[in-house]
Amino acid sequence: MSHDSGTHRSQPLDVEELERLPMEERAKVASAVDGVNIVHRRERFPVPGTKAERRAERAVAACFLLTFLGAVAFTVAYVVLPWRYESGNQSYAWFTPVLGLTMGLALLGIGFGVVLWAKWLMPEEETVQDRHGGRSPELDRRTAAAVAVDGLAMTGLARRSLLQKTLGLSALALGALAVIPFGGLIKKPRGLVQTAWRDGVRLMTSDRRLIRPGDIQAGGIATVFPAVQDGLTTQVVADSVVLLIRLRPGQTVRARPGQEDFGWQDYLAYSKICTHAGCPASLYEQQTGRLLCPCHQSQFDLLQDATPVFGPAARPLPKLAITVDEEGYFVARGDFPEPIGPSYWERPS
Amino acid sequence: MTDRPSTVKGRRLRRRLSGALALALALGAVGVGYSTVAAAAAPKARAASDAPAADPVEIRKGRQHYEQGCMTCHGQNLQGVQDRGPSLLGVGEAAVYFQVITGRMPVARQEAQAERKQPKYDEAQTLQLAAYVQSVGGGPELPTGDLRGDDSNLAEGGELFRLNCASCHNFAGRGGALSAGKYAPSLDPSTDKVMWAAMLSGPQNMPVFSDNQITEEQKQAITNYIQTLNEERDPGGSSIGRLGPVPEGLVIWVVGIGAIMLMILWIGAKS
Repeated sequence: MSHDSGTHRSQPLDVEELERLPMEERAKVASAVDGVNIVHRRERFPVPGTKAERRAERAVAACFLLTFLGAVAFTVAYVVLPWRYESGNQSYAWFTPVLGLTMGLALLGIGFGVVLWAKWLMPEEETVQDRHGGRSPELDRRTAAAVAVDGLAMTGLARRSLLQKTLGLSALALGALAVIPFGGLIKKPRGLVQTAWRDGVRLMTSDRRLIRPGDIQAGGIATVFPAVQDGLTTQVVADSVVLLIRLRPGQTVRARPGQEDFGWQDYLAYSKICTHAGCPASLYEQQTGRLLCPCHQSQFDLLQDATPVFGPAARPLPKLAITVDEEGYFVARGDFPEPIGPSYWERPS
Repeated sequence: MTDRPSTVKGRRLRRRLSGALALALALGAVGVGYSTVAAAAAPKARAASDAPAADPVEIRKGRQHYEQGCMTCHGQNLQGVQDRGPSLLGVGEAAVYFQVITGRMPVARQEAQAERKQPKYDEAQTLQLAAYVQSVGGGPELPTGDLRGDDSNLAEGGELFRLNCASCHNFAGRGGALSAGKYAPSLDPSTDKVMWAAMLSGPQNMPVFSDNQITEEQKQAITNYIQTLNEERDPGGSSIGRLGPVPEGLVIWVVGIGAIMLMILWIGAKS
């Protein structure tokens, strides 16, 4: 509003007087009005046209020239250099680095040029501007509150109860309007309890081949999906992906109670999704029978039926019951007995 | 009229004979055609039946190498020695080739994992050893023929690599840690044959990926993808180990911001 500190406000000048002042003086007046005080000002080169000044000017000009060259080189490189990937020919690999280098040079040139211009050629100057005091003057503080109270009184809200009520009602409805759409985002996570596995659904690989017991050798693993129409879509893969593992000869599994017959001979099938944070746990050590999750180093011991033995995962990996159908292909015998993946609020069990 | 039945009989016999002959010819043609097409399409891992039996001289030389360098730990008849070395019966020539040509065997000492080092046996000696072990116990065989296929399989190879291999070997084949001191090695120094041998035999803690599970064409694609990745230059400038965002972030924080800080200091000191 006003410059209350006002210590540097010079005597008010009338318009005519200002018009008569030279530009430089007028600028001084302007900064004085804003409380800016020039403490020290010195020309870098009091005598213009000396050797030193010309040298400084040439250095700044060289910087700008560098920008020009860099920018031109960028354009040329962008048009001329090969960028398309070709097998066996590596020259495309220079495209991005050359673009980066030339653009970097151009920006560096203009940056350095401007800084050096200010440091070498412009006058050396020190100015001080007074800071506004800690709090507003007493007069402003008292009157501000009065203005607010007066404004409220002018609306007459305290007297007009009808307006008060209808305004409150409309505010409520408006608030509800903002909140209610979020309700549509809240859904019961039914999809987490059910996956695409059903009794009789066959197991297939990522290239849609069905799997027979002879396909995997001892100590082998395969990532498998339900062999249904949309078995490789993201929605199905996201919760139904399974790791089919064939144990080595001599490895025996201490199964969970009630799930002793879930495997088929030396084959076991587990959900690939870690029970801690849902990463794909598929780093399998075939000799130790450990399955590692790469995200938080959880380890599941398959010889203890995928019980977590290290890391943050708390629950064993859900196990898929499998068998072999009359045509000799692996099939599931139903869905997982428990929800797959990490815990969540409504998780049953 | 009287000889008519005999003619009918004779004609029937001839028809039957010619039918059988045609069938045999057709079957033969299909068989030959299939085998040539299959041979052209994929490198046939030598099946025990149609492969020429390994040279007995080579096997004998392999046996000599075995008795000098391996028997102490793996036993006189490849049956293994308690607390020293596992049985080699049924591991196959692929496993022997992988372990010996990469220098992992013979091991220097027992530890979490045998590591790659300067090999003790050259290619010929390794193949002799492999032939000997194969002749005794059988098992996964070394591939022959084209191990990469043509470049049209690169995209498929990348997908298979990310699904089956990248979890342990890292998305750029740089390897990574496993449990208790074990690790998946970098794939940089691996030859095509070593990669195939590893997939077929599942060395140490690596799972086995048999030809029924990952077909030979898919193995070609994976191998071609890894080797192409190894040979590619990095279009975005320095790869910084191809280890992903952590080292890249470290470099930009330490080197990049460090350089800017130095520049600021320099500008400040000059004024």
